Amino acid sequence: MCGIVGYIGNSRALDILLKGMKRLEYRGYDSAGIAVRNHDEIETEKRKGRVDDLELDGLFDGNIGIGHTRWATHGKPSDENSHPFFDCTGSLAIVHNGIIDNFVTLKEELEMAGHTFTSQTDSEVIAHMVEEYYSGDLLDAVTKTVSRLKGSYAIVVMHRDHQELIASRNQSPLVVGMGTEENLVASDVPALLDHTNEVKYLMDGDIVRITPDAVFIRDATGREVDRETKVIKWTVEDAEKGGFEHFMLKEIHEQPKAIHESLLGRLVEFDEVDFARYDIRHINIVSCGTSYHAGLVGKYIIESIAGIPCMLDLASEYRYSSPPDIYPFTVFISQSGETADTIGAAKEARRRGCKTLGITNVLDSSLTREVDEVIYTQAGPEIGVAATKTFTTQLIVLYLMAIELGLQRGKLLIEQAETYRNELRKLPRRVEVLLNDTEEIQDISKRVLANAEDIFFVGRNINYPVALEGALKLKEIAYIHAAGYPAGELKHGPFALLTRETPVVAICVKDSTYEKMLGNIGEIAARESPLIGVGQEDHELEKLCDEMVHIPDIPPLFSPVLINVVLQLFAYYTAYNLGRSIDKPRNLAKSVTVE
Amino acid sequence: MPMKAVILAAGEGTRLRPFTASEPKVMIPVANKPILQYVVESLVANGITRIVMVVGYKRTSIMNYFGNGEEFGASIEYVNEDKQLGTAHALYQARDKVSDQFLVLPGDNVISRKTISDLLKQRSEYSVLITRSDHPSKYGVVTMDDGMVADVVEKPEKSPGHIISTGIYALQPEVFDYIEEMMHERLFDITSVIHRMLEDHGLKGIITDSMWIDAVYPWDLLTVNSAALAQMVKSSSGNVERGVMIKGNVRIGEGAVIKGGCYIEGPAIIGEGCEIGPQACIMPSTSIGNDTKIGPLTLVKNSLVMKGVEVGPNSTVEQSVIGDGVNLGSNFCSHVGTREMVVEEGIKVLQSIGCMIAEDTAIGSGVTVKEGVIVGSKCSVSPGTVVRERIPSFSRIL
Repeated sequence: MCGIVGYIGNSRALDILLKGMKRLEYRGYDSAGIAVRNHDEIETEKRKGRVDDLELDGLFDGNIGIGHTRWATHGKPSDENSHPFFDCTGSLAIVHNGIIDNFVTLKEELEMAGHTFTSQTDSEVIAHMVEEYYSGDLLDAVTKTVSRLKGSYAIVVMHRDHQELIASRNQSPLVVGMGTEENLVASDVPALLDHTNEVKYLMDGDIVRITPDAVFIRDATGREVDRETKVIKWTVEDAEKGGFEHFMLKEIHEQPKAIHESLLGRLVEFDEVDFARYDIRHINIVSCGTSYHAGLVGKYIIESIAGIPCMLDLASEYRYSSPPDIYPFTVFISQSGETADTIGAAKEARRRGCKTLGITNVLDSSLTREVDEVIYTQAGPEIGVAATKTFTTQLIVLYLMAIELGLQRGKLLIEQAETYRNELRKLPRRVEVLLNDTEEIQDISKRVLANAEDIFFVGRNINYPVALEGALKLKEIAYIHAAGYPAGELKHGPFALLTRETPVVAICVKDSTYEKMLGNIGEIAARESPLIGVGQEDHELEKLCDEMVHIPDIPPLFSPVLINVVLQLFAYYTAYNLGRSIDKPRNLAKSVTVE
Repeated sequence: MPMKAVILAAGEGTRLRPFTASEPKVMIPVANKPILQYVVESLVANGITRIVMVVGYKRTSIMNYFGNGEEFGASIEYVNEDKQLGTAHALYQARDKVSDQFLVLPGDNVISRKTISDLLKQRSEYSVLITRSDHPSKYGVVTMDDGMVADVVEKPEKSPGHIISTGIYALQPEVFDYIEEMMHERLFDITSVIHRMLEDHGLKGIITDSMWIDAVYPWDLLTVNSAALAQMVKSSSGNVERGVMIKGNVRIGEGAVIKGGCYIEGPAIIGEGCEIGPQACIMPSTSIGNDTKIGPLTLVKNSLVMKGVEVGPNSTVEQSVIGDGVNLGSNFCSHVGTREMVVEEGIKVLQSIGCMIAEDTAIGSGVTVKEGVIVGSKCSVSPGTVVRERIPSFSRIL
């Protein structure tokens, strides 16, 4: 998915395009680019990275321009493959969203006619094809071009000699925004709403000529038509979230799909990294924040499935620590792949002579260039600042990796690996079952958590890091002080803080620590703190707890995925009841690109 | 001007219980697509891309799947009907979203592109799409007079004819005034509104013989599934091992693995991320949802198997509906035969029916489920059991 935007009017096109592109970042953000017509010349800037990464000093004073923000699914994000694309002479520029199915044939035809291509993309053929058909009438050239295209497209075309934009769509969205002495066109309404709430939705096959004071539309048959002008009543925020109130809730609900995508094609053969090439005796996982917690869960996963000792470091500490006398296989986890601390640590690991692996969600992000191997989490773009589906898919990658390592080291029997894979295959459904019924969680969040000033999360073994993550989420978005502890540690200090006013969320599954955990929970119950149990159906646990959230049956080794979803929902609904800015919590940014 | 469509998708579809435990009827998959998706795709294929969905029961499952509609070439807005009082009340929730003539469609019937174009081509100000049915007493039965609707009787005991309303209408915004009037009288269904409207306006009845299939009871899902599979386009992006025989129209999803020795005869669809075989037999009119595993030497025939299911080795699943997340142990057997079912209209005799097992039920090895038996959701059945009668949800059979 990509986002495109075009502007024509009296204002400085650059500012309007950038704002619009930011609004479309939910459609992708691995490369960005713009082109602006300035005194019969087209100036351009495009590169891999987010809209904020564009270097825009000095130039770009014109009033006509186009912009693009990209999310690569096939083919690498790179400077060359970023939009806009130009014809051979740089006279015209295009942006495109969609897939041109017949681009190989068209490209061959254009190369025969002498056109030179600079990228591997399907989109570039559109620029050259318009050039081929151009003889003074841009609308005519675009009309002839789109008649040759097979596939899906939304395009916007500009030419240095023309005071107009030409746009067309087929099976990809495109909306025209009607302003006063200015007009806009974009993939989606949010990009227009700062300027106008009057829009025209284009239909498949429409070709439109946009000038500052007019919009002229022809349908697929070449007939002049008008499309109804609609007044948009909703706000920018509503538009992108498909009925959900916040991105975070939408992304929480996307997790079954994200897990499914993350597992796709990897269950039978996980061969993206040839681990046999590395002599892996120790693993060191280095990351920050939520990714650090995923790494902590990963330690339990890897040690129990593959039997390889696993160390954990926070990226910001790792760089300044003194290296031990071993050379562990070092794994870096970062959702964005742009986390400055993690990238710095990856450079340091190389300097120390370690072999490295990056786990990230963003194709070809900076981290991927600093490591020997990369595994992508395949979660799709994540917009909410609080990481949800990316944490879950990081765990999925760690399970897959542990199974592979276990098999290679002979620690894991093939039939045991089959059992684990089967559990993974069932995970999307289990998360879905959990998400189907969240009323209990909503009720507890409203009644108990939203009224607390301090909240404790306790767990043991593989669910101890999940307790840490649950507490972090609550701090991040609900602004409630929360702390996670391994349950056995409470009596070594934190116990002094437990009162009737401090709710405790206790994670309890039937693993090797079950009996001990029940004992710990009993001790908490004696302090009369409100106790919220999270676990499978279990009478012993229910007797001790004031409230109970059930998760579907699952082996303890895979329980963190489900329990974490419960804790995400606790954080979400607590923040919701407190009226917090859930998708953009104060003082926080999605990817932390400073140290 | 392109029209808007309002899809009514707020109801549970209680007669399909236990298959509606966690999603509404409109989201039940046939040929691996929710029923509602057939409605959306038929609208989009007719250029109607602006869609308002009235949602209620388990609405997140709908919103999560369809999002803002972009993936389906549409732009979808949602309105909530918190209490599902009736079809007219549901439609009323969309009153601020339409300004000109618009379409109203139930979200729970499988239709085709042509069904909609039949209506679009012949519509006048107020029109309803009607069709012939062999079981008219389940629906609103329409009597006609010179192309116009004379009367509609909802679920009559003795049917005056075989023409029924599909629930698909072209209407004007004035209909909301009538709905308000009827709601004052505590009448919340569209048929009552139409009755009242017939006093002032003509309602054109447009007959269609294009696809319009309704699944009322769980066993109807098998018929709908076969019909949808018959329309499906063949494709394959899975990993098919050597020695697999594929005949006819078969669709295999991304990341699926078909192991050696399998025999697959279309029409059949196998979802993304599935693992089939080795040596499994998938016979015609079978749908298998995403992330499902079919064990070695297992036969699946004319069945609707949903997502996240595991069927153990050496099992037989025939003429059966298997819900999301169901686990069937090895040597499972579904008997096929004739059974009398008690339904609202009386007794219905089902010929050649297997079993219907709802979501997340776990069945041990060596279990046999007799013909026509419905097993509820989240049950567990011990190994070796023979299940002869209906089992309510959340049961443990020892």
